[in-house]
Amino acid sequence: MNPASKEDLEVILADRRYELISRLLEKTVTRGENRWTLSDLLDKALLDKYVGIPIFLAIAWAMFQFTYLVSTPFMDMIHIFFVWLSEYAALIPNELLASFIGKGLIGGVGFILAFVAPISFLFFCIALLEDSGYLARAAFVMDRIMFKLGLHGRSFIPMLLGFGCNIPAVMATRSIEGEKDRMITILVNPFISCSARLPIYVLFAGALLGAYVGSAIWSMYILGILVAILSALLFRKTLFKGEPAPFILELPTFRRPTLKAAAIHMWDRTSIFLRKVFTYLLTGAIALWVLSTFPWGADVENSYAGMIGHTLEPIFQPLGFGWRGAVAFIFGFMAKEVIVETFGILYAVEGKTAISAAIAHSMTPLSGFAFMAFSLLYIPCLAMVATIRKETGSWKWTGFTVLYGVVVAYLVAAIIVGLGKLLGLA
Amino acid sequence: MTVRVALIGNPNTGKSVVFNNLTGSRQHVGNWPGKTVEKKEGKCTHKGVEMEIVDLPGTYSLTARAIDELIARDYLIEERPDVVVDIVDASNIERNLYLALLLMELEVRLVIALNMLDMAESKGYKIDVEGLSKNLGVQIVPTVATEKRGMEELKDAILQAAEEEEKRHHHIVPSYGEDIEKVITKLTKIVQKDQDLVERYPPRWLAIRILEQDEDALQRVKGSLIEGELLEATR
Repeated sequence: MNPASKEDLEVILADRRYELISRLLEKTVTRGENRWTLSDLLDKALLDKYVGIPIFLAIAWAMFQFTYLVSTPFMDMIHIFFVWLSEYAALIPNELLASFIGKGLIGGVGFILAFVAPISFLFFCIALLEDSGYLARAAFVMDRIMFKLGLHGRSFIPMLLGFGCNIPAVMATRSIEGEKDRMITILVNPFISCSARLPIYVLFAGALLGAYVGSAIWSMYILGILVAILSALLFRKTLFKGEPAPFILELPTFRRPTLKAAAIHMWDRTSIFLRKVFTYLLTGAIALWVLSTFPWGADVENSYAGMIGHTLEPIFQPLGFGWRGAVAFIFGFMAKEVIVETFGILYAVEGKTAISAAIAHSMTPLSGFAFMAFSLLYIPCLAMVATIRKETGSWKWTGFTVLYGVVVAYLVAAIIVGLGKLLGLA
Repeated sequence: MTVRVALIGNPNTGKSVVFNNLTGSRQHVGNWPGKTVEKKEGKCTHKGVEMEIVDLPGTYSLTARAIDELIARDYLIEERPDVVVDIVDASNIERNLYLALLLMELEVRLVIALNMLDMAESKGYKIDVEGLSKNLGVQIVPTVATEKRGMEELKDAILQAAEEEEKRHHHIVPSYGEDIEKVITKLTKIVQKDQDLVERYPPRWLAIRILEQDEDALQRVKGSLIEGELLEATR
């Protein structure tokens, strides 16, 4: 037997299998002349070393711009409807019940429901991109960078899934060969901006950033990807040393996406959101209403929620998030949409219905932008933490992601505020 | 009688579509034991015979390195389904057949569904399905799963394969060339000395895996009386 090493033999056997296959196919399969198809030509541009990334960024930007513009009128309509409804709720003779329905249910659940519009439109766009075959190409382009950085290429596929929800994305890491590569991918996945964060961006960017809303939302998604890549790099160099394994990424041919398929995909995401609204977010709204209404008779600032917020406020003082932000982050652990809900309820209890105006009054645009970044990064939601625990099988690593997220979020928010002040933005 | 069928194939070959076509609404989604990986099972009745169909994770190969591959491989080895349907993307036939060869080594009753034939043809491929089927010794059913074409024929082929006698498969034995075959034969003979192993695994399959130094296979021969002899022979 030849003194061939292990790997060699595996490779030799694989080679022989391919040789056998080509012999088998020689007489039975004929390939047509190599025609240049439209798909090939598109790939030439979309997968290009230099313009591939700019094209990806541009397409993503257009998508968020479109999502915001198209969904705004729908959001306004839903908002107006609930404001109208809350006026009726105020007529309920029992004051406590009136407050519960008007401020807790309508102020919280009704407020978050409006965000069904941007979520639907965003996923309609993503479905079109996915069905056309572009999304796989975006993964390919990103993969090239990641591989150069020493990361496992396949990592980006779970990350792409993460734009919908991080939980299935973490589950999808099981297709990654090698425990180290898999762990890294799981640990950085919470930074990928899932659909639960979208309402936060829409609310704060919409209230504070005027003409730059679309760009601001887009920048959050890019920020998430950047933090994920940099963290992965850090973990690779410190916690999980080693070389990534190369992999095959298959690019489906371009297809014309169908409206029906995109609509089905959109409805999938929308119905998940709606279910969440009437379960998790309803529970969250009730808890928040109780905390911000009691002790009965006290104003919001002196309610239990106010106490929690004011206790934690100093931590966020340098970032300018205010006490409401502190409360939002505590409850945002349940689900990130609860952050939006918190603002809805706290302001509703104060008797305000123009939430955007109230936010614009209490926060600077710079702090608002930092707030978006902090919300994106600070902690995975409860369900995600449970999933990470299950998939890593380790409380240690689960605790690590939570702590790491908080630290990174604070750092990034501080950098944003610091840089912004240096540049004279306030 | 019930025929137990496993669907396998590379990712993106339309395997799920075939699964949905075959089982319709008679599906059940669970988890693989001890894993968080989704396990889809379904049933279908064809010509009075009930089939239980399991959708294995999409995979390019059957090494035991990624969890997906390990699940597929363990299922094939431990559960020994009556028929294995390999969904092959016709427009990527060369790479897809790699998995088919590995399945032949596992000595399963194999049926190949040659899917996306329309796409392959539009790319300019011409495939002599009958000739290829003869070369491989495997039934090949051309399908276009997205249009539900070829599904009845596929069910027929499954039933036909299920009727094949145990241990008498018609497919070819993938050959590795004289030099390597010599070692494989030697290893196979050693494996055959352990009756316990022979009952559980196809000896030639085990021999090839040992030759590849496959971690999982090495575990499987651990503790056997022939372990030392096997390892000696691979040096």
